[in-house]
Amino acid sequence: MSFTIGTREILAEPRPLPSKTVRYLVPVLSLIVGLMIGAVILLASGHDPIAAYKEVANRGFLGELPMIGTLVIATPLILTGLAAVVAFRMKIWNIGAEGQLIIGAVAASGVGLALGEHLPGWIVIVLSLLAGVAGGAFWAALAALPRAYLNTDEVISTLMLNFVALSIMNYLIFSSVSFWRDAERLTFPSGRFIADTAFLPRFWGRLHIGIFIAIGAAVLLWWILRSTKWGFEIEVTGDSGRAAAYAGIGVNRKIVSVLVVSGGLAGLAGGLEIGGVMHNLDPRALSLGVGFTGIVVAAVARLSPIGVILVAILVAGLNNSGVGLQTMGIPDDIVLLLEGIFFLCVVGGEWFLRNTIRIGVAGQPVGERSVP
Amino acid sequence: MNDSVIILTLVSAIGIGTPILLAGIGEMMTEHSGVMNLGVEGMMLVGGVVGFWASTETASIPLAMAAGMLAGVLVALIHAFFSVTLRVNQIVSGLALVTAGTGVSSFIGGLDNSALGGMRSVSTLDPVFGGDITDLPVVGPLLLGHDWVVYLSWLLVALAGFWLFRTKKGLALRAVGEDPATADAAGIAVTPIRYIYTLVGGAGAGLGGAYLTIGVFGVWQNGITAGIGWIAFALVIFAGWRPWRALVAAYIFGALRNTGFTLQIMGVEISSDILNALPFILTIVALIIISARPVAARAFRAPSALAVPYARESR
Repeated sequence: MSFTIGTREILAEPRPLPSKTVRYLVPVLSLIVGLMIGAVILLASGHDPIAAYKEVANRGFLGELPMIGTLVIATPLILTGLAAVVAFRMKIWNIGAEGQLIIGAVAASGVGLALGEHLPGWIVIVLSLLAGVAGGAFWAALAALPRAYLNTDEVISTLMLNFVALSIMNYLIFSSVSFWRDAERLTFPSGRFIADTAFLPRFWGRLHIGIFIAIGAAVLLWWILRSTKWGFEIEVTGDSGRAAAYAGIGVNRKIVSVLVVSGGLAGLAGGLEIGGVMHNLDPRALSLGVGFTGIVVAAVARLSPIGVILVAILVAGLNNSGVGLQTMGIPDDIVLLLEGIFFLCVVGGEWFLRNTIRIGVAGQPVGERSVP
Repeated sequence: MNDSVIILTLVSAIGIGTPILLAGIGEMMTEHSGVMNLGVEGMMLVGGVVGFWASTETASIPLAMAAGMLAGVLVALIHAFFSVTLRVNQIVSGLALVTAGTGVSSFIGGLDNSALGGMRSVSTLDPVFGGDITDLPVVGPLLLGHDWVVYLSWLLVALAGFWLFRTKKGLALRAVGEDPATADAAGIAVTPIRYIYTLVGGAGAGLGGAYLTIGVFGVWQNGITAGIGWIAFALVIFAGWRPWRALVAAYIFGALRNTGFTLQIMGVEISSDILNALPFILTIVALIIISARPVAARAFRAPSALAVPYARESR
């Protein structure tokens, strides 16, 4: 690819493996470009970008209270990010974390409601989180089995299942007298609350143990991908399914197991939201796009489990600052807009990891071309 | 006869089906070029708010529709740049567009000088054929009682079908979506074609969004599409990438969003939440049948290079 400005020819060509410095510098510079684009939009709509970004820092990150709020928001995001990481590493495009999270929440709240009064709290907590994992895994399996044995495109099936899950949750709370619904509140439909002995333990204020579970899951996944046969086979299959089959890897079973693990992680996010934050099944609070955002978080983190923790916390901090911006007279919808811009800049910036730019004189060969 | 519940249901299915159809036909053209744009919902929201805003400013429906369409094109341009030029993963780019589109549409809707939330549309779309003609039984309300956007959508379906399967340009488009390397070798410009049809998809979604706010609901509200963009995305698959099937399927999907009430009158108790899930369930079932039955696969096949970025170096 090349184009000419005046007498200069600007030429882009593939580069060999980028150095470590470049790999870390590019996303940082891309984010700065994103911040600048965001600043222009803020300016154009009559707001002070410096003050707005200060508010984002103050409300999202600096201090104990903002950080607690941010970590609570980050918890499900880390897990849906990990769900994307494990599947995308094998080039299995699970974009159904949203639905898997919802079904996980339905299962976890169901177990919490059924057992909450009868068993000791910690047993209910463990069982309901396991139910969340199982619910998410089950929902992913609905797409995994056709993918593995009929080659049904998983992008579309996992995507479609999101909306089926959303409808199921809405049905349980809004249009039926289900086990999940609080039968006494008919005018304002809402879910029954689980027993407070089954709430996840909290540390500082609102911060529940979910953040440690999420970070623990990230570290565990990092280790599994790096050091186990299962993780190694994911890399091999992701590089070439045919090579993996020749090497004796059961690719079909691999697809199912990866999607089930991916769905389980998203389901765990749903379970933690029930046990740690909402304590009932509430469609108004749960349909927040955490599953979709997790995919972009994973992409921005370049499918690194540890990177997901960092990116998820950054995104959560931005979300957390929406209320603060609102009090400054900036609509909090700007948060979603900024999020989209930052995502696109960082993901788009990766082009510079694959290509270098050379500037030469038009019509003359530019140095020695690198051989890809 | 014209007031019968079934007729009224079908008419309202055409109403809600039209934005689905417009966005779906656009996305279909995009996907035939090998680009998958998951950002339909975001493009529809931006088209919807810009179109609605333009209708309050100019009181001209055609101008408002054009503004919504243009807004959709601009959002699609972002996707084209990221997925075609920068070769970013198309799923990621599309989903980022949904996030950004949702944010930007609510932001525009809430700007101080144009607080659009809750405002009624100043002008409405009137039926093209007035007078007695719409009183004809059945065909009156079903075929002759619509506004011009509905007829435009039928025209676009015919045009898309003709373009894709009866013209040289359509052949080039499908070649790019099936096998870009071979198309490139045959002298077809892959990148410009992918750009153009990604923008065509944005135009369809933007127009669909504008029709949704101005023509169907007559209001702007944050997140007003409420999943209609995703239904349009499902429509393309359910219709097997064929425009005429999309016409029928769009009205089936439209009817499913609206028939809860009708069915209740007819004595069938079914929750609207279940009906809302049906387009997506039907699409999954269709998809599984396509992949399981080779015969079906030939008639309902995705473009082979769908969502695969093309780089000449890697040929």
